[in-house]
Amino acid sequence: MPLEIVAEPSNPSTLVLAGRLDSTTAPELEAVLDRVLKKAPPRLVFDLSKLEYLSSAGIRCFVRARKALEPGGGKVAIVNPQPSVRKVLDIVKAVPAGGIFKDIAELDAYLDEIQRQVRDRD
Amino acid sequence: MLFWILAATMPIYAGALYMSYQATAQRLEHDAERDADELAARLAAGMDAVIRPIEGGIRTVASQLEEIDPPQEQYPARIRGILAAWPDVYGSTIAVEVANENAAARQPYAPYLFRRGGEVAYSDLATASYAYATLPWYRRAADSQLPVWSLPYFDKGGGEAWMVTYSVPFFRRLADERVLAGVATADLDLNWVRRAAADVPLGSGGMGWLVSPPAADSFLTPIGPTPRRLQAFDASLDANAVRVIGEQMLAHGVTFRLLPKGVTAQPAYLAARSLQTLDWRVVLVLPQSELLAEARRLLRRQLWLGAAGLVLLIAAISFVAAAISRPVHALAEAVGTASEDHLGFTLPDSPRRDEVGVLTAALRRMRDSLKNHIELRAANLAEQARLEHELQIAASIQQAMLPKPGSRELPPEVRTAAALTPAKQVGGDLYDYFTVDDTHVLFAIADVSDKGIPAALFMARLAGLLGVVATSGKSPDRILHEINARLVEDNDACMFITIGCGLLDIRNGHIRYASAGHDAPLLRTAEGSVASLAVENGAAIGIDSSAEYTAMEIVLAPGDTLVLFTDGVTEAWMADGAQFGTERLVTVLSEAKDGSSDALLRHVVDTVASSARAADDLTVLALSWTPRGVTWNRSEKAMRWLIEPQISNVGVAQTQQWLRSILAARAVAADLINDAELIAEELLTNVVRSLDARGCDSRMSLDCELTPTQIVMTVRDDGPPFDPLALAAPDLDADISDRSVGGLGVTLVRQLADSCRYSHVDGHNVMEIRLHRTTV
Repeated sequence: MPLEIVAEPSNPSTLVLAGRLDSTTAPELEAVLDRVLKKAPPRLVFDLSKLEYLSSAGIRCFVRARKALEPGGGKVAIVNPQPSVRKVLDIVKAVPAGGIFKDIAELDAYLDEIQRQVRDRD
Repeated sequence: MLFWILAATMPIYAGALYMSYQATAQRLEHDAERDADELAARLAAGMDAVIRPIEGGIRTVASQLEEIDPPQEQYPARIRGILAAWPDVYGSTIAVEVANENAAARQPYAPYLFRRGGEVAYSDLATASYAYATLPWYRRAADSQLPVWSLPYFDKGGGEAWMVTYSVPFFRRLADERVLAGVATADLDLNWVRRAAADVPLGSGGMGWLVSPPAADSFLTPIGPTPRRLQAFDASLDANAVRVIGEQMLAHGVTFRLLPKGVTAQPAYLAARSLQTLDWRVVLVLPQSELLAEARRLLRRQLWLGAAGLVLLIAAISFVAAAISRPVHALAEAVGTASEDHLGFTLPDSPRRDEVGVLTAALRRMRDSLKNHIELRAANLAEQARLEHELQIAASIQQAMLPKPGSRELPPEVRTAAALTPAKQVGGDLYDYFTVDDTHVLFAIADVSDKGIPAALFMARLAGLLGVVATSGKSPDRILHEINARLVEDNDACMFITIGCGLLDIRNGHIRYASAGHDAPLLRTAEGSVASLAVENGAAIGIDSSAEYTAMEIVLAPGDTLVLFTDGVTEAWMADGAQFGTERLVTVLSEAKDGSSDALLRHVVDTVASSARAADDLTVLALSWTPRGVTWNRSEKAMRWLIEPQISNVGVAQTQQWLRSILAARAVAADLINDAELIAEELLTNVVRSLDARGCDSRMSLDCELTPTQIVMTVRDDGPPFDPLALAAPDLDADISDRSVGGLGVTLVRQLADSCRYSHVDGHNVMEIRLHRTTV
């Protein structure tokens, strides 16, 4: 199964990836990231619940997104990776341990906390 | 027929003729003998007739002498009377008795009158020199006191001639006593006897003699024409010997017999009779040829008559037999011309009412009904031939429905081999395979519940439906469902089909397989093991419109072969009465050296053909998945696949897929498959990237070796020597802005593999990765 990338119009900062993200399909994601990263969203969420396979070519996409957003205070988060994908992510520490969430709700709670901290600091 | 009739009747006729001949011959012989005997008797009677009156005359004289007792002076007169009365008497005397004391005379007195020179001469025998009282002619009559004939004697002193004498005593009555008074005699000259015998008629044949009793002076004279006949018959015949034999016969009371050999030159009979007057005999020699001549003549006539009768009999039998056999022969000739092609032989119009007529009518009926029968049979044969021809056409049409080698364009990744042997000309088995789309090939095997034409027609419907339904690209379970739904309709014949249907993905060797009551296929792996697929069978097609089917999924590794078959294989009968059976099929498949679909098919078909007799249609379909760029070989310890992809990302993706299929086909655990695939991708991607940079014609390969405990992957390329493991590991904990994007792949490989080792061998970069094998 090849890669499927879905970006919901209502929530453009979340990319739902399904299928295989490998050296063959990574260029597709690169192309999408080119468009998304231009807008420099404050956060970019990869929903990997339907991603079956991930190789280093895919990981490079995540690293590239981080490199693009994190210096500007942006945030890259990964939600609900399957165990085999999580194993790969962990091996190469593609995202910090705090950047991987069990599901969207956990991510929302985390983001709310961040906003609250920012508000408190303000 | 004539021959046999004659052969049967002739001996009977000849036998009867012979017996009749024998009886007649005996009868004639007997008659001839009796005639001869009678002839002798007649001769004797003839002699007696001459002599008896003389006897009577003398006895009369004697009785007159006794009654009258005339004086002696009258004796000569009386004697003269005798001579006058019987001219045959030569001489006669009346001799007186003197010895008797009561005698009248005291002086011997015997006046004897006899014929001499035509006159009667007188002489007295009572002389001293001729003591008549002592002579036999006197003495015997005197002593016996009865008339008696003397033996022949020469009368010396008396008649001076050979003679025989009849002596009759006479007596004188004195008171109550009769005393001998003398003897009256009559002499018969033997010359006279000879003449008398010569005058006796002898009849038409034979030689006879008159013979005196045996004594010192025996007398023997031929009768009638005997001397003349004796000359003609046997001049040396000794009449005396014949006389002696005749005496012996009479002594034994025999009057007729065959003379002993040697007495006569030719066989002859002897008849003998005693005279009633003289104590003489008649002997008669009759040549057998003469005696039986008449009998022979009669017999000859009888033979001629018999022969004539025989000829007539043969002629009559021939005529009657011909009257029967000719029409029968004609019938036989007419029937003999008949053959299967020519039954139009003509039979005679027989108005006959006998057996021949009945036979002719029966033959005519038989001919006509046979003709009808043959015409009917010819029509049947023609019809049968037409059906046969149609069946052949049907068989060729049916064969045409089946894919032939090369007739279906299949992707090169798929190898098929199939054989179908119908039990009859047309069968109810079917196999098929065809390309559904760019990536899928459908294959199916089916068995209609029956054999022959109904099965073939039903199978044709199935073949058509399969082509239509399967091209929609649906999963096999859906295909079966739809075919079932259509075949259940109007299935009044209540036929059903078992079918196995699979859809092969040529990219990865994945097969979805569904079965409707069909025998589970056997999978022979590249390693040579054979196992039955755990198929979940649905109901046979054509029975239940609501039947549902479940598809199972299997993965073929390159080198694996799936073998589908119909029950004609497993239910073929072995010579020992057992069925071929699935277990035997498994054994046959696992023993095959070459695991290719072609070789396996040939092996199975040959084995079944040589060891078993098919009772049903027999179909085998073998299918294997052989992606280009993958080769395999098997050693004792391990199985290895060598993947040689094109040098591109597509090649890498294909390699990953094939690797995944190989591992999945060998039930390697899913996460391990994932690791292996990831490692392969990372390593091959690096190789592709480095070779791409060189832009020259290069090669790379991935060798996957499976042992029971390990997965060993070896990546080779002929690029510039490069050891990825020698690169410094990227700092994974560095700030994101400082992090390198590359180097992650090698990190993954290091982390996932149990061991990894680089070497440079023969101008090749060789990276060997080992994974501990775990199964599902």
